[in-house]
Amino acid sequence: MYPALIEEYVRPQSVADALAAIARYEAGDAIFLAGGQSAMQAMKSRMLRPQCVVDLQAISELKGIVSDASGVRIGAMTRYVEIAASAELQGGFAALGDAARRVGDRQVRNRGTIGGSVCWNYAASCTPAVVLGLQGQLRLTSGDGASRSVAADDFFLGPLETARNDDEILLSVEWPLFVERSGSAYAKWGLVTDALPVIGVCVRVSLDADGRCESARVVLSGLANGATHVAAGDSLLLGCDGDADAIEAALKRIAQDTDTHSDMSADADYRRQLIVSIGRDVTATAFRRARGEA
Amino acid sequence: MINIKLTVNGEVFEDTVTERMLLVDYLRDQLTLTGTHVGCTYEGVCGACTVHLDGEAVKSCLLLAAQADGHEITTVEGLANGGPLSALQQSFSDEHGLQCGFCTPGILMNMSEFLTLNPDPTDDEIRHGLIGNLCRCTGYVQIVKAVRNAARAMRETS
Repeated sequence: MYPALIEEYVRPQSVADALAAIARYEAGDAIFLAGGQSAMQAMKSRMLRPQCVVDLQAISELKGIVSDASGVRIGAMTRYVEIAASAELQGGFAALGDAARRVGDRQVRNRGTIGGSVCWNYAASCTPAVVLGLQGQLRLTSGDGASRSVAADDFFLGPLETARNDDEILLSVEWPLFVERSGSAYAKWGLVTDALPVIGVCVRVSLDADGRCESARVVLSGLANGATHVAAGDSLLLGCDGDADAIEAALKRIAQDTDTHSDMSADADYRRQLIVSIGRDVTATAFRRARGEA
Repeated sequence: MINIKLTVNGEVFEDTVTERMLLVDYLRDQLTLTGTHVGCTYEGVCGACTVHLDGEAVKSCLLLAAQADGHEITTVEGLANGGPLSALQQSFSDEHGLQCGFCTPGILMNMSEFLTLNPDPTDDEIRHGLIGNLCRCTGYVQIVKAVRNAARAMRETS
């Protein structure tokens, strides 16, 4: 396992310089390298054969988590280790930490980034599912200085496919502030601890003043088509006050109606079982967080 | 080819490498620091090639040598650096925390950073911290014990 010939390695100091570097090549011949925990594997297996690698490690404007009155912004080059440790990501944002704390292993979390993961959009991965579950906005910019914001629903197009153009760079994943009484959670099951999800479940709920669910969002990871929003699941949780039986019933319906697949990790029925068993805990946690409990 | 300048185990190196050279190959083949191991044919899954990049544990098969330009690398050779064994290394020796020893360099590099962040870990936390390192002898019980005892020794001397 060794990368194909790379003709040029550059390490721009700014987004503008990174865009200028990528513009010197035909589309696809130069790639942005974020944390490299997936892209390096793809280069070594020769799935990617870039002539030029544009390493984003030195661009400080792409790093860090900002939380203020207008919302939360996570720079594309923010690493899992930083998201996992962030005190800013509570309540409705807590699923981000749930996922980041369980990606791969310590070494991967020390390098891997939120931007790299969402732009790679591997089918069995956690970050795209959480960004989709929390309805993040993906802020992109291109060489002509134009920037655009793409909703997660429109960004993830399928395994290894996103709405990002080759000449665009992801600046950040952003959210307006969630309404009060919002909570989210994510958990997964894989073949070994912290492995890629055979099934993962992300749930976000917002509660009314009486503690009943007034909006919900259910997203699954580990399905053949990658991160999948289960719109029917959103409405199943409406009006629920966090009662365990009601949650269980909703998850059973979600599992029943989901088109799961069989592969060497798990068969389709087992995946449905996982949706129920992981999903009820995740949903209960999201409700607890929305109520402000630990 | 690209010129790189980096610090490895406290010593500054200036070299010319191919753009596609992996950091692990640079360390092993060019600097002959063969303590850093390749266990899984560079697939990023075994952790035997773990080194410190600016003090943080990373897999050196998932980095280009060019990416390490300007950075500080520590390999397993840098733990004792010719002097007495570090407390963690001594504990692996005392507790028989290795069988064939092939995975040991990566585990030492991962756990040496882990213990700076969590000086008093539970066994569960140690096991969770070790997920990125495979021991094909499956000698994890002794490895966990070695890390636990090293943590205690380090707390007592600090």
